[in-house]
Amino acid sequence: MSTEAVVAAVRESAEARSPLRISGQSTWLDAGRPVRAGRTLSLGGDRGVVSYVPGDLTLTVRAGTPLSEIERVTREHEQWLPLDPYGSSDGTIGATLATASAGPLASNFGLPRDLLLGLEFVNGRGDIVRGGGKVVKNVAGFDLSRLLTGSWGTLGVITEVTLRLYALPATDRTFVIALSGSEKEISSLVRAVVSSPLTPFALQLLNPPAARALGLGEHAVCLIRFGGNDAVVRAQVSGLSQVARPEEVEATVWTRLRQLDGNAHTTIRVVSMPQRFLAASARILGDDVPGIYTCIDPRRGTLRIVVGAADRATEDDAPLMLGSADFARDGSESSEVIFEKLPPEAWPTVSPSVVGDKLSQGIKRAYDPHNILNPGILGD
Amino acid sequence: MTQATPAPIQARTSPTQSAVAGRLADIVGERHVLGRPSELLVYNSDGLPGYRRQPRLAVFPGTREETIAVVGLLAAEGLPFVPRGAGTGLSGGALADDIVVIGLHRLKKIISLDVENRRATVEPGVVNLRLNKYVAQYGLLYAPDPSSEAACTIGGNVAENAGGPHCLKYGVTLNHVLAMTVLLPSGEVVELGSRVGERDGYDLRGAFIGSEGCFGLALDITVKLTPKPQAVRTLLADFTSIDKAAHATSAIIASGIVPAALEFMDGPTIRVVEDSIYAAGYPRDAEAILLIELDGLEAGVSADLEEVRRICLDGGARNVKVARDDAERMKLWQGRKKAFGAMGRLAPHLIVQDAVIPRTRLPEILETIRTISEKYGVVVCNVFHAGDGNLHPNIAYSADDPAESERVHKAMRAIMQACIDAGGSITGEHGVGLDKMGYMEAIFSESSLNAMCELRSVFDPERRSNPGKVVPVHACKEWHAVPGGRLRSAAMSSVDSPEARPLEAEPSHPSAT
Repeated sequence: MSTEAVVAAVRESAEARSPLRISGQSTWLDAGRPVRAGRTLSLGGDRGVVSYVPGDLTLTVRAGTPLSEIERVTREHEQWLPLDPYGSSDGTIGATLATASAGPLASNFGLPRDLLLGLEFVNGRGDIVRGGGKVVKNVAGFDLSRLLTGSWGTLGVITEVTLRLYALPATDRTFVIALSGSEKEISSLVRAVVSSPLTPFALQLLNPPAARALGLGEHAVCLIRFGGNDAVVRAQVSGLSQVARPEEVEATVWTRLRQLDGNAHTTIRVVSMPQRFLAASARILGDDVPGIYTCIDPRRGTLRIVVGAADRATEDDAPLMLGSADFARDGSESSEVIFEKLPPEAWPTVSPSVVGDKLSQGIKRAYDPHNILNPGILGD
Repeated sequence: MTQATPAPIQARTSPTQSAVAGRLADIVGERHVLGRPSELLVYNSDGLPGYRRQPRLAVFPGTREETIAVVGLLAAEGLPFVPRGAGTGLSGGALADDIVVIGLHRLKKIISLDVENRRATVEPGVVNLRLNKYVAQYGLLYAPDPSSEAACTIGGNVAENAGGPHCLKYGVTLNHVLAMTVLLPSGEVVELGSRVGERDGYDLRGAFIGSEGCFGLALDITVKLTPKPQAVRTLLADFTSIDKAAHATSAIIASGIVPAALEFMDGPTIRVVEDSIYAAGYPRDAEAILLIELDGLEAGVSADLEEVRRICLDGGARNVKVARDDAERMKLWQGRKKAFGAMGRLAPHLIVQDAVIPRTRLPEILETIRTISEKYGVVVCNVFHAGDGNLHPNIAYSADDPAESERVHKAMRAIMQACIDAGGSITGEHGVGLDKMGYMEAIFSESSLNAMCELRSVFDPERRSNPGKVVPVHACKEWHAVPGGRLRSAAMSSVDSPEARPLEAEPSHPSAT
C-alpha cells in the first residue's frame, strides 16, 4: 500500500462517510478500544526502508515496517532504534508511534516522541501532510510530529516516519537482583540501586508472579541493563556489586518481559513521581496474585499492572492487590492512570474520553472533519 | 466564531489607543506601559539586527494575574499582540509590527523545585542561566543551553524550542518540558502536558513547544532536570583545513560515541573571537577547531576521550588539547558561546543562518559554502553545532551599503538552497519567525502548511498572537475564506499584509530602518 493508496481509501471513506479502523499488524486491535468503523485500513503491507545513511544515524521507513525488520536492518550497521514497546516485535513502527508505545528502554532513551524526527500522514480529507524532517534537529514549522504521536490514528494515517538511531553499545549486559526479605530491606535495597550514580539502559522492578513467569525465581526482582563501552559497563557492574548481589542473565529476558502482555486481559499504566514509586515499591512488589504482573520503572515513574487472560482477577483477589491499588488511589491528583488494554465492555465506563477538551476537539475537527479515522478509540 | 467588535486602534494618535493604553496601565501600573516611539525603540528588534518593526505599545505584566488580565483585555478589544521574553531570538520572531508587545521578563519567579523528582516549575521570564545556577547547588542542571543562556528566558526557549551545544546528547527544549500552564490568546487558561511526564490524549504540550508565540503564551513551565554528570572532559582539536575537521566530525558521529557537545569554528571565527574580549586561547593560525565535550561516568568518559582523540589525530588534527580544569573548560566555552557577539567587531549587521544538514554531508556543504562566499565576495564565519549538522554560517556586513547588502543576501540564499537540496531543514533551533518564512514553501507542501495553519487556528482562531509569522499567510487555505469583520480591522491588516515572499524574493532582507 502506497501513500497514494491510503489517500484513495481515505477519500473514498470521507465521501461515503464510512469510518475506517486503522491498523498495522493488528497487534493493538485486541486492546478492546471502542472503534466504530465498518472497514479496516491496514498498513501492514506497506513496509520497507525508504532511506538509510548509517553515518547520519537516521532512518526513514514506511509505517508498516515491523520493529523486527528495523532491528535487523540497523543491526547490520551496528546501530539500533532503542524503542522496545511491550508486546511483539512484529508490531509496526507506525502503530508504535500512533499509540506512543514504549518499553523499558524509555527511561534512558526517551519516549517515541523523543526518537521521532519527522513523518508523513494522510489526514481525514485525504491530504498528504508532512511534519518535521529527516535531520536530527529541526524547528521549522509547527510540530505535527509530536501531535500525531499518541493520537491513535484519529488525526491522520501515518504512512512514513524518520527516526533517530543510536550506535549499538560495544557491551550490553543484563543482571537480576533478588528482592527478598522484609519490606524495609527491599525498600532500602531498591533505594540504594536507584539512587546510585549508575546510568543503566533499563531498570525494572518486577513482582513475584512476573519474576516467576520470566524464570527469575520466586521473589520480586530488580532487572537492570547496562550498555556502553567496556569500561563504563565494568565500572557500573562493580558499583552495583557494592550495594547488591547481581547475577547476570541472558538479554532475552527483556523480550520475554515485553511479551508478558501477550495474552493480557487488562493492562493499566500508572504514571507518577519517581520518588513515590521508591517509597511504595516494597508494598507494591508484595502483591502476589498468580497471573497479575506488576512492573515498576522507578526512573521513568511508571507502574504497569498486567492481568493475564487466563488468570482473570476476581473480586476475591482484591485484598491481595493492595499495594498497587493503594498506590493508584493515594494522591491520585499527582498521578496519571492510562488504560492500555481493557475488556471491550469496560472501556466506556472505565475510560472516558481523553480528547474531550476544547483544543483536542478542535484539532480532531480540523484534521478529520468527517470523523472517519478510528472514531471512538480515544473516547468522544 | 466569536461576535465581531469594532477595531479600537485606528490610528497612532487616536483617542482609542490612549484608552487602551490607559486600561492596560490600570492593570499593570503606568510605568509598565510604554507608548512613546522613543521608549519603544529598544523593542523594535530582536537578536537579529537586520529587522526592525516598531511596536504600537509595550506592556509588562508583573504577575500571572496581570498577564491574564492583559491578554483578556486585548481579546475583548480584538487586538493582536506579540509575546516577548528577553528579545534574544534570531529569527525576527519577537517583532511587533505596529501592534502590542507583551514583555514577560517580569514574570521571573522560580515557583517550585522538587530536587528528589528532578523537576522545577518556573515563570516564563526566568532566565535560562539563572535556573541553571539555582539548581546547580543541588547537583542538577537544566540541559538546553542556548548560547544566549545568560539572557534568554525559559518562556522564550519554549516558544522557539531552543537548543544549544549540549542538545546533541541531551535533546532540545521539547525533550525537557513536561507541562505548562498556557494562556490562550482568547484569555482562557489551559494545562498542557503532565507534571508526571506522560498522559493520554493528544500531545498538546508537544504541539505548543516551538509554536513561536503563535499559540498563546506560557504562564508557568514545568521542566525536567538532569543530574550533573560525574565527569566532564572538554577537548580542543585544531586542524589546518576545514575539510579535515568536517571529516573528523562525521567520523566521531559514525563511531557511535555521543559527545555532550561537538562544536565547529572556522578560521575567520577563531580570529574574530581571539581579537575580542572573549579570547579563549584558540590557535589563531588554525583553519578550523572542534570543541568536543564528553560527559558521563568517569570510566566511560576516559575511554571515549581516547577514542575521540584518536579519531581527530587520524583525521589530520594538528593538536588535541584537553582542558585541565573547570576554569580552562569555561574559557574554551566562553569563546564559542560569545562568538556571535564577537562578530560585532567586523561590521554593524550580521546575518545568521541556522540550517541543518545530514551529518555525512558536512564536508561537501562546507566546501559549497566556501565556493559561494568566493563567488559573491563575502566573508562567511562558520560557527556551529557540527554534531547535529546544525550550521550557523554568519556574514557580518553593513546594511547601509546597498551593494554589499545585495551580495550578502544572494550568498545567503544560495547557501540555504544548498542545504535544502542536501535534504536539510531551514532552521534547527532559531525558529522561522519572519526571517525564514520565505523558505517554508521550499520544504513543506501546500497541504502541510495548511495543516500547520489549521493547528494554529485551534489555539488562536483569530490569529492575534504573533500574527504574520512562521507560516506565510497565503499558504493557509481556509484563511482566505474568512470574511472581513474584526480580522480585517485596521490593526490586523497592517500585520497581515507584509506577508512572506517566495524563495526568489528577499526573505532575509532586512527592512529599511
